[in-house]
Amino acid sequence: MAGVREQDQYMPIANVIRIMRRILPAHAKISDDAKETIQECVSEYISFITAEANERCQREQRKTVTAEDVLWAMEKLGFDNYAHPLSLYLHRYRKTEGEPASARRASASASPSMQMHPRTHPHSHPPNYSHHGFGMFDFDPSSQGFYRDDASSSGSGGFVASFDPYANIKRDPL
Amino acid sequence: MRQAGAYSGLLCGGVSGRTGPHSLPLARIKKIMKNSGEDVKMISGEAPIIFSKACELFIEELTRRSWIMAIQGKRRTLHKEDLASAVIATDIFDFLITLVSSSESHAVGGATNVMEVETIDCS
Repeated sequence: MAGVREQDQYMPIANVIRIMRRILPAHAKISDDAKETIQECVSEYISFITAEANERCQREQRKTVTAEDVLWAMEKLGFDNYAHPLSLYLHRYRKTEGEPASARRASASASPSMQMHPRTHPHSHPPNYSHHGFGMFDFDPSSQGFYRDDASSSGSGGFVASFDPYANIKRDPL
Repeated sequence: MRQAGAYSGLLCGGVSGRTGPHSLPLARIKKIMKNSGEDVKMISGEAPIIFSKACELFIEELTRRSWIMAIQGKRRTLHKEDLASAVIATDIFDFLITLVSSSESHAVGGATNVMEVETIDCS
């Protein structure tokens, strides 16, 4: 068993490195042992939070671990500065997911103008970029700035819905 | 498919199509969640979605703190020791101490990690 790493127990290394690169300066290098270690840390993090969330489910005699259970477990285990931006993320996801398919395009077109209203950008951006900017400003206070980095560099990944993956999830309950 | 393609092209530039808008694969997250304990039964579709974003925040925080350790050592390469130093210095990462301090991963190490988690829960 020593030395054998089941790849399906870890996040793909390319995805992990891409996220790390958002934080690191361009000249930074990442050693192979650091790459492996952070993969292991991410899996441990998921297991740690999930175990706590599942314990709560069992106490309340429920069988399904929900997003709320995950957020509750994060707060309980000290990741409260993650729980608030994630609550907003979940709220946004549900709002998008709940719309009928025929309204998705209309909603997408309406979304930039809606999000432009609460905030004024210090710099001009293309309409698509305002999507990221909104998230950036909205989450900054609660996450002490690091979430801003995330929003500005990967806002599209974090905030924009692509519907096929959700459909897959819905169709494949455990 | 065309509609989905249009959306992904327009709104999700730069994100791999295989993971949609999430930078981490949801199926992989779900599998890790299932393996966190034999008594994990059902997982709602939204839980892996929350984790995909939570793991980004976690990776970013761990990377940032590790990089601080590397530059304190006058280095420009992030090493495992930097991750270990960041974990030791950060309370909320206590659950990782056993993992980053072991020389290699194996079944016994995994068991120890589980025990460590239980110890943390009791405190």
